[in-house]
Amino acid sequence: MSGSGVNRRDFLQIVGLGGTAMALSACGNTSIESGVELVQSYVQPENFVVPGVGVYYASTCLQCASACGIMGRVREGRILKLEGNPNSTISGGKICGLGQAAVQQHYSPDRLTTPMIRENGSLKPATWDKAMALLNATLTSADAPGRRVWLTGPTSGHHQVLLRSLIDAGGATDTVVYDALSTAVEASVNRKLFGVDHPVTVIEKAGLVLSFGNDFLGAGESPVAAARQYARFRKAARRGILVQIEPKMTLTGANADRWVPIKPGTEGVFALGLARELLQRKEYSGGISPALIAAVEPYTQVEVSRITGVRGDLIPHLAGMLWEHAPSLVLAGRYPQGHAHGSRNTAAIALLNVVLQNQGKTLLRAADLPFPQLAPTAGDFKSLAELNKAMAAGQVRSLLIHGSNPVYSAPDFLGFAANLQKVAFKAAWVTELDETAAQCDLVLPLLSPLEDFGTHIPLNQSDGIELSMQQPLMQKLYPETRSFGDVLLDLLKKTKPDSYKAFPDYYGYLKTAIINAKPAFSAQAEDEAFWEETLSAGVLHRAAPLLPLSAMEITPAMIEQPAPGGYEAKYPFSLIPAVSASMRDGRPANLAWLQESPDTLTTVVWDSWAELHPSTAKAMDVREGDVLLIESAQGSIRAKAYLMPGIHPGSVAVPVGQGHDAYGRYATHIGVNPLKILDPIFDQDTGELALYATRVAITKTDRNERFTKDEGATNLQQGRKLVATLAADQVDLSKEMPFVIR
Amino acid sequence: MWYPLLVFPLALAGMSIAEPLQKGDHFGTFGPHEPFKQGGPIGSQTPDGFNALGPVVEQPIEFPHYIHVEKMGIDCLYCHTYARRSAVSGIPRLSKCIGCHQSIESVKDKPRIKMLLDYWDKKQAIPWKKVHDEPDFVRFNHERHIQRFIFQQERPTREACGYCHGDVGNMTTARRVKALSMGWCISCHQKDHKLNAVSDETSHGPNDCWQCHK
Amino acid sequence: MSFDNLSSNWSKLRVKRPQPDQYKDAPYKWAMVIDLDACTGCNACTTACYAENNLPVVGKERFLAGQAMHWLRIERYWGEGEELTQEFPEQGAEFLPMMCQQCESAPCEIVCPVGATHHTPDGLNSQVYNRCIGSRYCSANCPYKVRYFNWFDYPTNAWPSPLEQQLNPDVTVRSKGVMEKCTFCVQRLTEAKSKARTEGRIVNDGEVLTACAQACPSSAIHFGNLADSSSKVAKMWNAQQVELSAYPQKKDEQREKDEQLGKNEEVVRGYRILEDLRTYPSVVYLERIRSAEV
Repeated sequence: MSGSGVNRRDFLQIVGLGGTAMALSACGNTSIESGVELVQSYVQPENFVVPGVGVYYASTCLQCASACGIMGRVREGRILKLEGNPNSTISGGKICGLGQAAVQQHYSPDRLTTPMIRENGSLKPATWDKAMALLNATLTSADAPGRRVWLTGPTSGHHQVLLRSLIDAGGATDTVVYDALSTAVEASVNRKLFGVDHPVTVIEKAGLVLSFGNDFLGAGESPVAAARQYARFRKAARRGILVQIEPKMTLTGANADRWVPIKPGTEGVFALGLARELLQRKEYSGGISPALIAAVEPYTQVEVSRITGVRGDLIPHLAGMLWEHAPSLVLAGRYPQGHAHGSRNTAAIALLNVVLQNQGKTLLRAADLPFPQLAPTAGDFKSLAELNKAMAAGQVRSLLIHGSNPVYSAPDFLGFAANLQKVAFKAAWVTELDETAAQCDLVLPLLSPLEDFGTHIPLNQSDGIELSMQQPLMQKLYPETRSFGDVLLDLLKKTKPDSYKAFPDYYGYLKTAIINAKPAFSAQAEDEAFWEETLSAGVLHRAAPLLPLSAMEITPAMIEQPAPGGYEAKYPFSLIPAVSASMRDGRPANLAWLQESPDTLTTVVWDSWAELHPSTAKAMDVREGDVLLIESAQGSIRAKAYLMPGIHPGSVAVPVGQGHDAYGRYATHIGVNPLKILDPIFDQDTGELALYATRVAITKTDRNERFTKDEGATNLQQGRKLVATLAADQVDLSKEMPFVIR
Repeated sequence: MWYPLLVFPLALAGMSIAEPLQKGDHFGTFGPHEPFKQGGPIGSQTPDGFNALGPVVEQPIEFPHYIHVEKMGIDCLYCHTYARRSAVSGIPRLSKCIGCHQSIESVKDKPRIKMLLDYWDKKQAIPWKKVHDEPDFVRFNHERHIQRFIFQQERPTREACGYCHGDVGNMTTARRVKALSMGWCISCHQKDHKLNAVSDETSHGPNDCWQCHK
Repeated sequence: MSFDNLSSNWSKLRVKRPQPDQYKDAPYKWAMVIDLDACTGCNACTTACYAENNLPVVGKERFLAGQAMHWLRIERYWGEGEELTQEFPEQGAEFLPMMCQQCESAPCEIVCPVGATHHTPDGLNSQVYNRCIGSRYCSANCPYKVRYFNWFDYPTNAWPSPLEQQLNPDVTVRSKGVMEKCTFCVQRLTEAKSKARTEGRIVNDGEVLTACAQACPSSAIHFGNLADSSSKVAKMWNAQQVELSAYPQKKDEQREKDEQLGKNEEVVRGYRILEDLRTYPSVVYLERIRSAEV
């Protein structure tokens, strides 16, 4: 249209398609301009910074305890997107959705930008000087009675070292490490049976993985590393087989060759039935004590089938498969652990590994860390319960909280929020206000993980010894935010000045620490160069073979199962608080991308739901969208019914992570929190909260609401060959191009 | 083309009439060797037939290109280094200016140099205004153009940069003197361009929408 | 676009597609292979796409109205037929990552009234936001329903400050009234091609990846240059016996014959989705595998 002198935008406006012309919006440059926008030069950039080309800096993702190595694309001084760091043996260059959303935590519009101090009942902005004065006053008065407790989430690396030093120096009395989704039951069983809390499970070496609800691909301990191993597991010369037995389908279960629904809590019984079958073979029974063989004798196919609801003929079938596809690997997930007899369930499942002689093949031990003080500390529930009791008795003078939100995630029966009021001084360190911080007297704004330095030890080390470095990917967004490491260092300088005055800041402290670690990693470079190389690579790695694992004695008492049944008729259903990869314990709920990311099994977004098996729903005349009242003896929640074929008919599953009432614009007042109504039932051996033992009653209300979900009118392919499935013997995988999977 | 007249009579009425050229106006390419301080009014016609002249843009420091380019003979790519390897040509980093100017005693007290040294003392980036600012949905890649015209066809740098930026070497601060519109870009893309200085083979510039539209 | 221009270039615009051997001498033809057996349905790829391509989060209300903007979505099915045949999904769920298939004979390209969508020389289906007037005919024609329309002006409210600092400067932030879809991360491809061109070569295999392929923890998404016979993707298409411009594939004809004769030969598992609609997509999916033994 160059001849007419009217450009296309004007044309459309004149002709009346006005709205669409706004496709080129007023905000942002939509025509040739001159002198409107700025094009600032750099002052003195690094040589490798080229405007218009992104530079990748390595760091560590802190969205869960996996400590995956990541790298961030930085352009013009700001972080745009995260990728996996190929140097990391955990992520191998890959990254999960949770990791991608870490930039949203960094750029969150609800970031806390100044310290807050409670005055006349509400939190008001304050200066750091005032905040630190308040903090020092409360912490250093060591003669006043009462505990001064640090309540943290799972931790590792130098934060942990500084915290412990602070306690040693008298700056606090003790730490409590709390994890709402703790797997402390499994850790305790592993310690008794194998001598280590976290044996390394080598999925890619297994011919058959039998998982009792272990969601290693989804909400497990290290999903990215597990998914990489899983890919190799499937592509092995003899394709690996996955069997998943659980009361509600997890993401891992959705990928199983055979998914088996089981009555909640009876996983141990099934495991013992399978053990009994396996022990018929002398190859297996040779290494097992007669007492144990006698202990599993009552678990016949008929008996097991009666108790678990699983067809009896699965047992000999599975036993045969385990024999044929050796080596195998048996995994216990959160479901079997979360009962009053959780330890017994887990021990019975671990017994299978021992019977199958998997130790040394697919069940191994990680090499010892040369720096055990940095080793990860997993959290549990029991310590929180003890702390809660002390708080209720008025024994806790001050509570300092970092990486933990118990007001949200602790069950109502604890009365944690009320007991918090009995603590004279409560402080929290957060990037964004959450339910617990909102109750505190002092709230301090943290640097986001993308603005801070740090060191982290991954929870799962299956490939040598790795220390993952964290470095800022851009300058801090808000001048009044500080590094948690710097706060700890400041407190230490007051209590133990001689040891810490040499370090100007946390960066200086870490640099010294890393340079001191040079011998552990057999590095030859000069100190400065070593530090630069380490930050640049993002990880410090040392090859170390996995070590053998030997099984200790399993006594019949360890695997003793309770008598089945005994439930109140008032509460006919078992409540399953379902943990998903994107919501976990509720901490990522304030990230918009994750709220908008459909749940992998139900495709629901921005909401909670109550999963029922279609047969259960039919029996209760419940349709999709019917709002149900779900009541336990502790309280009730309301959620819309979702018909899910992948759940045991006697259960109702409600996802964990929603139901926040003070956690930013994307999480507040969305959905419900099933953790609130959990019954006070604890594992009899460890005292851990039994997450899956709560019984509920379900009542229909007369409301029905539409679901916001990604699936359409049908969740079947309607014969369109969208996802075709082949039987494993129909396809010759060796004909496919063998490609490298990192 | 009768149909525009029929459909857009209103638009025609609203069109501005270009003012005739005045004596002494300087614009376009390779003009007389005088500081290019003023040009014709916006909308004036340039010799190559496109309505082009952009407004005079006032910069924080009135940087004299003519001293550095005409007088000193500094190559465009010395300062605008990244044009050869990035989509963006880059305004030189402050340390590059200082690299020379910290040792040039003769101009140390000139007002513009004083402003420059002041920025350096404060380690503050100079807030230059962007003169050749394409819309946000356009992807323009300097690297490809510089590689083709300067490195492959071995044309002189000033000439190659001048195709789009005009004779900046004779200006103080830059001023847009070319249309930079899509039609103008396409008109060049449609010409036959030699692959390199010695080849007889030619090619067009890309005609694919997605090369330039983000 | 003037009528003169249209009429004189009609034959160039209305060309029969696909053109066999179109990419024989071309330097690039971008294609993908998605291994449905490796895909775990974790949604890492969809979140990576949001991050890379400035996708707006639309919120619950608009999601309910079907106005979500996820260029890549993971569909989840419970069975192949029209009814649930089992009481429990004993072989798990069926996950399908679905994005623009960059069809060689795209039903969307031919119906745009203003020519906002074309086929690029390197084999992608382009969407030019400027040209788009929002007729939405392309989305109506798309059998995969992978085109998404900006019903609202997202730049004004989808990125409350400072979330807008996360936006990728290499990708336009679309405002109201334009259609958008997966571009195979064309911004990454353009940058890689430019870098390679300066060095006098074509892009090496694995040098450039789409955001989804880079994120996928189980390496289910493979991306590459089909015109480069040494690339992984070209070798996979070859091994799966899928030809870009063919329908039906020779191997499918053979498989049908085998089935009729009752022969149970081993098959290769590559296929294209809704291939019978003759869209000639550039994405090959590898059939999911389940052990029949357990």
